[in-house]
Amino acid sequence: MDGQQPAGRSGSGHRSVPHTADLRVEAWAPTVEGCIGELVRAVVDGFADLRGAHVVGERGCTVLGVSDADLLVGVLEEVIYRMDADGELPVALAIGRIEGLDGARTVAVRFRMADTATAALVGAVPKAVSLHDLDLRAGPDGWTCRVTVDV
Amino acid sequence: MSGMEIALTAAGRYRWRIEQRPPMRVPGVVFASEALLPQDAGDKALEQVANVATLPGIVRASYAMPDVHWGYGFPIGGVAATDVDEGGVVSPGGVGFDISCGVRLLAAGVDREELDPERIGRLMDLLDRTVPRGLGRGGLWQLSGPEELDDLLLGGARYAVEHGHGVPRDLERCEDRGVLAGAAPGEVSTRAVERGLQQVGSLGSANHFLEVQAVDQVHDPDTAAAFGLRPGQVCVMIHCGSRGLGHQICTDHVHAMDRELHRYKIDLPDRQLACTPVDSPRGRAYLGAMTAAANYGRANRQLLSEAARRAFATALGVGLELVYDVSHNLAKLETHEVDGAPRRLCVHRKGATRALPPGDPDLPADLAAAGQPVLVPGTMGTASYVMVGLPGNEAFHSACHGAGRVLSRHRALRTVRGEQLKSDLEAQGIAVRPTSWRALAEETPEAYKDVDAVAAVTEAAGLARPVARLVPLGVCKG
Repeated sequence: MDGQQPAGRSGSGHRSVPHTADLRVEAWAPTVEGCIGELVRAVVDGFADLRGAHVVGERGCTVLGVSDADLLVGVLEEVIYRMDADGELPVALAIGRIEGLDGARTVAVRFRMADTATAALVGAVPKAVSLHDLDLRAGPDGWTCRVTVDV
Repeated sequence: MSGMEIALTAAGRYRWRIEQRPPMRVPGVVFASEALLPQDAGDKALEQVANVATLPGIVRASYAMPDVHWGYGFPIGGVAATDVDEGGVVSPGGVGFDISCGVRLLAAGVDREELDPERIGRLMDLLDRTVPRGLGRGGLWQLSGPEELDDLLLGGARYAVEHGHGVPRDLERCEDRGVLAGAAPGEVSTRAVERGLQQVGSLGSANHFLEVQAVDQVHDPDTAAAFGLRPGQVCVMIHCGSRGLGHQICTDHVHAMDRELHRYKIDLPDRQLACTPVDSPRGRAYLGAMTAAANYGRANRQLLSEAARRAFATALGVGLELVYDVSHNLAKLETHEVDGAPRRLCVHRKGATRALPPGDPDLPADLAAAGQPVLVPGTMGTASYVMVGLPGNEAFHSACHGAGRVLSRHRALRTVRGEQLKSDLEAQGIAVRPTSWRALAEETPEAYKDVDAVAAVTEAAGLARPVARLVPLGVCKG
């Protein structure tokens, strides 16, 4: 497995998991919002080195979904959309508190964006998020999630 | 059917059967040798074949081609046909995110023996500089805005040729003459338009490539000649699809169908199989948007062909003639005989190529006697195949689409470093122009099945037969 090992899963971390078609990533964190943020950072770090990238500004969005797992998909989809449509990738993100009832969940996200033209490509570029085997759940040591990303 | 034990029984030469049991509506059929069957513990490709067999309206069987491997929802290398007039569904996951991802082969007016490593290197440097790929928004064609994109979504490769990007003969050698009827740009979301606007004429990344190849072996000289191929001939193979636009269309429609499953009382074993009746407002909307993306994919490959032509003209002073252009991620409404009666079917090919036999009325006139070229890209270190459709193909005239992955990307990374792979390939005389070392290593030839075995089993299973084997001389990786 690549990435930090989930030793007790008490902190935050992520790793890639074998899948022959595309990219499968697992992440874990003490909170659900932290878990989503950890996974987004893992996916971005998996293909773009943004350490020398030129920061162009901030963007915000509100993601809606019927479940927290769907919010996770929505936040990743926002990152992919901004990359293709505006040529921007997040160097940092802040995920607000998830709100709403079951069936109507919402979360506000703020991104600090860099110009993709100044990023270094280090892996296959994600293009979509699959619902296959999607998972986000609470456990005794915090939250874990798993997503399959089309590259 | 998650976690279900899949039992295969031998059912003919290189043909395996997954018996139908609830909630499957038909059996599964896998065309493979024992060596080509998915082997790894945890690999869910065969479970996915069984899952597809649960789709409402599916007929005959859920098929897997010899290059089958684990996908999401559908397996990659899956074929499924649903009966439109019996409530049959369309599933965007059965087409894939990269709608109309496909392969195009062009034949050059030059032979391998006329090229030395220096000339190939010069050509590859030029392609490296002029073929947009990897991260970034740039494409070869700057459209004026969303209105012109709508025209391209309606016109496909024909629109590109009409605007000076190619010659009319190119269209004769594209599936559907380069444009599918029925595109509905109005069903394409603003996000899809924004993603696609600046990517017309770009390869993308991952397993997409532009490769310079040579015809290494001709298995059937007459058919090869009809396709425009001869021994030693230099060729260009392009593998790419509909870029961000196609991915966004699939994303949008999977989400919409996922939310509406209850309306049609559809229960699925995998959310990525989300579907809706073909003959419903949502089904028609998806097919209209999918068709628009298919036309985008064909225009995209047309633009990349023109970039290759410019590079060949500049570096070598020769032209490129289109052999054929196929899509291997698509759903098409086709008529096939099922249980003795002609039925209107929605045939999903997810990582599978249509393979029309000689005499099929859908073939262009100059290929009617020969049959349809089936383009099967292998790996950058081994070979690729040009095959031709065989009569009597039970999988709705479908065949393999490539070698098929066996290693995940992260396992591939542990077998070789990108720098080492480039050096190994160059020692074999293959010039490599990667976008990143890691992306190159992820595509190491070891990550794929043996393409020679895939081609041999495809023939033995009666799907398509080899016409020519091509070997790589140089590769621009996405």
